[in-house]
Order: sequence, then structure tokens, then C-alpha cells
Amino acid sequence: MTPTPKPTPPDQDKLRPHVFDGDIQEYDKRLPNWWLMTLYGAIVFWAGYWFYYERAHYGPTNAAAVEQQLAIIEAKRLAATPAVDDASLWKMSRNPVFVEAGRATFNSTCVSCHTEKLTGGIGANLVDQLWIHGGKPTEIYATVTNGVLAKGMPPWGPVLGGKKITEAVAYVLSYHQEGEPIEVQAAWVPIAPK
Amino acid sequence: MSDQKITIEYNDRIIRHFLIATVIWGAVGMLVGVLIASQLNFWQLNFSTPWLTFGRLRPLHTNAVIFAFVGNMMFAGVYYSTQRLVKARLASDFLSAVHFWGWQLIIVAAAITLPLGLTRGKEYAELIWPINIAVALIWVVFAVNFFWTLARRREPALYVAIWFYIATIITVAMLYIVNHLSIPTSLLHSYGVFSGVQDALVQWWYGHNAVAFFLTTPILGIMYYFLPKAAGRPVYSYRLSVVHFWSLVFLYIWAGPHHLLNTALPGWLQNLGMTFSLMLWAPSWGGMLNGLLTLRGAWDKLRTDPVLKFFAAGVTFYGMSTFEGPLLSIKSVNALAHYSDWIIAHVHAGALGWNGFMAAGLIYWLLPRLWSKPLHSVALANLHFWVSTVGILLYVAAMWTSGITQGLMLNATTEGGTLLAYPNFLDTLNTIRPLMLMRVIGGSLYLGGWLILIYNFCRTLQGAQAVNGTIEVHEEAPAPDTKLGLAGTFCNAPTVFSVLAVVFGMMWMVGNDLVSTAGLAGGVLSLIALYALIPSRAQLWNGWYEKLLLNALPFTLLTFFAVVAGGLIQIVPTVLVQKAQNVEDRIQVPYTPLELAGRDIFVREGCYNCHSQMIRTLVPDILRYGTYSRLGESIYDHPFQWGSKRTGPDLARVGGKYPDVWHIRHMEDPRSVSAGSNMPRYPWLLSNNLDVSVLPAKIKVQRMLGVPYPALSAQAIFDDVGRQSRTLSRDLRLAGANVAPEKEIVALVAYLQQLGKSVPVAPKPAAAR
Repeated sequence: MTPTPKPTPPDQDKLRPHVFDGDIQEYDKRLPNWWLMTLYGAIVFWAGYWFYYERAHYGPTNAAAVEQQLAIIEAKRLAATPAVDDASLWKMSRNPVFVEAGRATFNSTCVSCHTEKLTGGIGANLVDQLWIHGGKPTEIYATVTNGVLAKGMPPWGPVLGGKKITEAVAYVLSYHQEGEPIEVQAAWVPIAPK
Repeated sequence: MSDQKITIEYNDRIIRHFLIATVIWGAVGMLVGVLIASQLNFWQLNFSTPWLTFGRLRPLHTNAVIFAFVGNMMFAGVYYSTQRLVKARLASDFLSAVHFWGWQLIIVAAAITLPLGLTRGKEYAELIWPINIAVALIWVVFAVNFFWTLARRREPALYVAIWFYIATIITVAMLYIVNHLSIPTSLLHSYGVFSGVQDALVQWWYGHNAVAFFLTTPILGIMYYFLPKAAGRPVYSYRLSVVHFWSLVFLYIWAGPHHLLNTALPGWLQNLGMTFSLMLWAPSWGGMLNGLLTLRGAWDKLRTDPVLKFFAAGVTFYGMSTFEGPLLSIKSVNALAHYSDWIIAHVHAGALGWNGFMAAGLIYWLLPRLWSKPLHSVALANLHFWVSTVGILLYVAAMWTSGITQGLMLNATTEGGTLLAYPNFLDTLNTIRPLMLMRVIGGSLYLGGWLILIYNFCRTLQGAQAVNGTIEVHEEAPAPDTKLGLAGTFCNAPTVFSVLAVVFGMMWMVGNDLVSTAGLAGGVLSLIALYALIPSRAQLWNGWYEKLLLNALPFTLLTFFAVVAGGLIQIVPTVLVQKAQNVEDRIQVPYTPLELAGRDIFVREGCYNCHSQMIRTLVPDILRYGTYSRLGESIYDHPFQWGSKRTGPDLARVGGKYPDVWHIRHMEDPRSVSAGSNMPRYPWLLSNNLDVSVLPAKIKVQRMLGVPYPALSAQAIFDDVGRQSRTLSRDLRLAGANVAPEKEIVALVAYLQQLGKSVPVAPKPAAAR
């Protein structure tokens, strides 16, 4: 007259026989399918990714990829470089739209050395008539673009680009008159900040 | 069964010690965190004082939180649970006491040396060499005490918590020792034996796995003991424990290179780091699942029990940050997030959410049991929970937003992608300032929560009686057939298949075509064999594993082999490869003695905490800082200074970008030349004299480590320093800055002005793997 045994619960709902420290027990439930898929998926991705980049070399290396992008940028820059000549730069320096845009660039980029009043600090005074690397508009443009590394002027061409440099030069020129005398200065002695 | 009954008294005294230390160092670590977070927004809070500047205090914050706060919490949890899980008192009261006091002494030594600028210059590995030795010794004491206790266990089987503790102890020892190998130049200074890319790789193998095996595995072990205890529910799945434990310890160690994505690190290591990080996602979530699903049937208790509240939230934060980790390891995501506050959000979700909340749960659970008195106020514990939760959410949300905002601004281009949209770094910094303030508020709330805990802790202790747990056990003779010999450990299907998988996998990954094909074939055959065998052998293999759990030493050996594989495959080739093959097309010029002295000042002041020296192979990096960094450009750098965060701009090519005098003004008062900067002032560099007497010893060690210095007499070194510093000082005077040649700033400027100087070399064809 033994009672009919209850259907065995699924394996996973049984507790493991061992009890730790009096009351810690463990089920032995199945691993969730979505969890297994995450694990297997990541393994498949690893194999595929590794094959693509490291075995078959379909994908470019970091350096090759970035060199290619830089070449495109270089080409775009070459195509977009504005033609600058003294006459047009003077003309821009009288155009308030250009001068305003130039002022913004100047105040965010140049003031730390040339100061907000352009009277010089670590870098040279830009409102007097003394010029170290030439005072003609195109010479100023070249100095800004290529920099004078030996004297601490960074090359701004790659950072600001032709358009912004044109505007900044126009802003500087707005403090000057066409035809005013240009005197040559040997070097700039920095002025200590106030 | 012999009927001899004995009573064991657990060593709970040492747990109380560690618990009190946890509470105190937790507060210290968080307080320093709030201070340095505030410094980022209010530079005045650096007080223009050397030992209070961000660069010196940030290492104090990270070391205090990791090693002092989580360290003490880990030791308390490990010692408490291990004694009970193996039914044995800690093996040695003496070793336990040495462990405790030794560790506190190390923390105090760290708290003194780091603000003094005594540092090795590598993150979370800043402590100087005498303290390194102390750490290693105390860790050995911990290991001996732990394994000795295991050897004396009366519970034959090892519970999953113990597995995690074993993995912690052996892996941390391995990582710590390798990453701290150095040669002293004096009692307080040393140069690490690795340099450049090797140093970077070893550092992040260590750094990443400090997170894994110091902040994760021991806490998972603690979760496996305390969570089912507190919930009164069985652990969800034993087999999930098995699968996620082994996959976690095996995979974690490989993922270190994800800290170096898009850098000069060889591409195959980057791809290894990224793919293994993705594979780590599921094993990490295995731990979260086993924690959260154990709470099934106990969720109602969360309403009333602050312990479970903290545990449930802690495990949830663990799940969140271990999902975020693999996400950040994807190269394209990393291009945006690396060096930004997003990483800060990620680590604080882990540190505040996972570690901090597990610590709080542990403390609230242990307090009444160790002092035999109910918690002073459950309501205050609940308040702590909510204040801290709001704090974390504010903190993390602020840093996510900040990181993504600044990352997008730094990467933004204009005019058809040819120009940076925000060429001035400070524009991006000043955009995120409100978010940095919100971070301070979130962090302060979290600290406030901790102060509530301290109050509650102290009130509970008032008039409480310390009690030690006891247990009655029957002394049983161990069953005779449980020994698993060397053969039983290694010559069995699960071990053999695991080894085959790793060997064939490696052959396929890095071998030449023939080896690779063989590896692929072997791997596929093994997979088929495994698939065919599982139905009939699964029972047998389960039995083997059950038996392994009765054998602590074989278990430890297998764990060691699982963690050591990843390290060997990444690091050994990079270290063995001739340095000349690791340079790409440029090689750095060794520093002059003066520049070397300047570099050591750079390291001393912790500049690397905010400035990287690594221009990544990414267009925005190149547009902003110049062409990407080559391996050869840091090949002689002991330690490497690639950095991990850009609170300020990258410095890899800052040399020659500004005139010398600019640097003088900048270090004296950064805002005089960079309006809006949040950098501290460094006036003492202009008044301190450079200590040249240490240079001969330093250069001797550099020579020993392979930096091509000619054999120079001490006098020749001093003469060289004198010549270069006098020239620099004269040029500075001409430029309007009167700085005497013997001042520290002269050395620092000399160093900064040569950053990025290198000579071209013919690229080596077919760089060796």
C-alpha cells in the first residue's frame, strides 16, 4: 500500500544535497538560453573578427586606416585653400562681417600670447608698425599659417584652416591702414602679465 | 563516525578589526574623492600647496578606495565567511593580526608618501618600492593564513565563495609582483623594469585585473556567502556558478589591452583585448544572475531589510557596469569615450554601486552578529541607502553626459571634416563644468550616506558586547577515496579539453599559416569530440568536478593555470621581442640628464593623471595634437606616461609648440596664458632647487635597464645639467623671465620642450609577433 510516488520534479528544481554553514543551499538550474546565446554569440564574434582582421587581413590596420582618412582631408584642404593677395585681405579688413568673425577666432586662439588688445604679451605687439616676419597682409597670413616654431608661434594652418586664418588676419589688419609704414623689428621681448 | 564533539570558536575579533578599518578608510577615501572632484571645478582648492594638488591626491583617492576601503572590506568578508564555510577557526591568530596591522601600516605609509610626491607614476601602482615589498609580504601572510585554514577544514567540499577567494589570492599576487618589478635608485625611488609599450601592456594587464581580482572576484565570493544567508534562499544555480567562475577567471586576464585601444599598441593585441572583453560580458552577467535570481521568493524582504536592499542594488550596479565595460571595449565606442568622463562614470558605477553597496550590506549584516546587539536604527540604514542611491545616480548621470559631451566636442570637425570644430581644448572643458559640479553633489551625497552609516555603527557599538561565533562539530575521519592526485587533476577530459581549446585557439590565432590551419582543424575536431562525448560522459565529468571540490591544492593549481594563460600569451612576446622591432618608424632620443630630472618632476607631480602622452590613430587626435604616436617614441620611458584621462590636452608633441617662457608663466599661473583653465598652480617649481645629486644613481639604473646612455661620471652628469640649465635660464631671461638655472622649473621645461622629439628610422619589414 505504498502511496504512488509523486512525479519527480524536473532535475533542475532539486536542491543539491550539500548544505554549507548550516543553511546555504544550491539549486542546479539550467543556464538561461539567452545567457548562453550571449556567450556563444561573443565567441562567434571573436572568431569572425579575428579572422577578418588578423588572419585574412581584410580590414586595414589602425595606421593604414587613419593615413587613408588623412589623405582625403589633405586633398579637401588643397582644393579649398582660398586665394589670398594683399588687396583682397585689405578689403576684407574693412568688412565688418569678416572682422567680427576674425575677432572671435582671435579671442579664442591668439589672446593667450598676443593679448585681447593685441598689444603683445608672450607674443609680439600686433597694433604697432613694427613687424618681425613681415607686415604685408600675405606675409602675416603666411606667418599665422606656417608658424615660427623657433620663436614659439605655432603653425595654425592645420588647426584653423584657410578661412579662419583669413578672417583673423583681416581682424588684425583692421587695426592698420593700407600704406602705413612697415618697420622691421629684430625680436620681441615678452612682457610679463599684469 | 566517531562521536567526539568539539566546539570551535571562530576568530571574529579580526573581523571586527577589519570592519572598523573598512568604515574609517571608506570615509577617508570618499572624502578625498569629494575634494579632488571639487578641485577640478575650483582650482583654488588646490591651495597652491604641493601636497594638496590634484595630481598627488588623485592617486591617494584611488589607492584609498581600492586597497584601503575595499581591501579591508574584502578581508573582513573573506575571513568571516571562510571560517564558517570550512568549519575551522582561522589557522593562526598571529598571522591574522600581522595581516591586519601590516595592512593598516601600509595604508598609512601610502597616505604619507603619495601627497609627498613619492610615486612610481603608474596608476593604482603608485606606491614606492619599499611599500611594494610590504604589500607583497602581507599578501603572502594572507595567503598562508587562508590556505592553512583550508588545509585544516572540517568541511570537505569547497563552496563557490571559496573558489573566488582562491582565484583572488593567487592572481593578485601574480599581477602585483610582475607590475611592480623595479630597480631602486634610492630608498624612496625606483624605475620599473619595463618601458614604453611593454610597460603600458603590463600596467593595464595589472590595472584591468586589479579591477577583476581585487574589486570583483572577492566581492562575488562575498556575495555567494552573504546574499543567500540574508535572503534565506538557495543559490539559483550551481552549474551557472561553475560555468561563470571558470569563464570569468580565464577570460578576464586577456582583456587588459582594451585600456589601450587605438593607441600605438600593436594591432593584434588591441583586437585581442576588444574581442575578449566582449566574451567577458556573459560570464560577468552569470554572477549577476546568480545573485539576483537567488532573491526570487525573497523580494518582499527588500522592503524591510536594508541589507538585502544594498545587496540587490549592488548586484544590479555590477550588472550595469559589466555591460558597460564590454561596450566601452568596442574600438569605435572607445574612440569617443576613452580619456573622457564616461570612464569615470563607469568605474564609479562599479566602485560606489557594486563595491560600496556590497560593503554597506556586509557591514549592516555583520554588525548585529559580531557585537550581539540589534542595529541601532534600521530607518537610518534605509536613509543611507536612498541618499547613496540618489548620489550614485547623480554622479553617474553627470559623468556620462559630461564624457559624451566632451568626447563629441573633441571629435567634432567642420569644413568637410578638415578642421576641428573646437580647436581650443578649454572650450570643451568649460562646457562640462556644470556637470562636474553635479558630480561633486552626487559624490557628497554618497559620502553623506556613509557618514550616516558611521553614526549608526557607533551607536550600535555603544554598550554592545563583542561576541565570537561558535560551532559544534563532529570530528570525522575524511573519506579515504577523495584524493585527486596529479594525474586525477590534469589527466581527465574536462581539463584536457580546456587545454586543447586554448592551445588550438592560440595556434589558429597567432601561428603561421601551417600552424594556424592545424589549430583550426584541431579545434574543430575537439569540438566535435566534445559534442559527441557530452551525452554519455556528462555525469562522469560532473563527478570529477565534485571530487575536485574536495581537493584544495589541485583546484588552486587549475585556477592558476587558467589565469596565467592570458598573461603569458600577451606579455611574453612583447617583452621578448627585440626593442628595435618595437619602434615603428621613429625612435626617441634619450633624455639629457636635465630632461630626465624634469621628467621625474612630471611624474612626481602626477601630471599623467590629467595629461596623456599618446596621440591615437584617430583623425580628431591627429588634427588636434599632431601625427599619431609611434611605439619608438616612448621606448625608453620608465615608466610609460601614455595616461588614461585627458582633463587637459595631450602632451605627446607639446615640445616646441610654445616658447619656454610660456611654460614658465603657465606653471606659475595657468590662467595667465590659458583663460578658463582648471589646472593647479605650481609656484614651488619656481622656488625649489633641483636635486641633482640623485641623477648619477638614476642614470646608472636607466643604463642597466637598456636606455642607451654613455658611461658618464657623476661630474660629467652635473656638468651637462649645468650647461643645459644655464643656457635655458639665459634664454628665459632674454625673454623676460628671470629664473635661476638651478630651479626645478628649468628641468621641467627642458623635459616638456623635447616631448615629441624623435629621429626617423627605417621601418622594419614584417615586425615580429
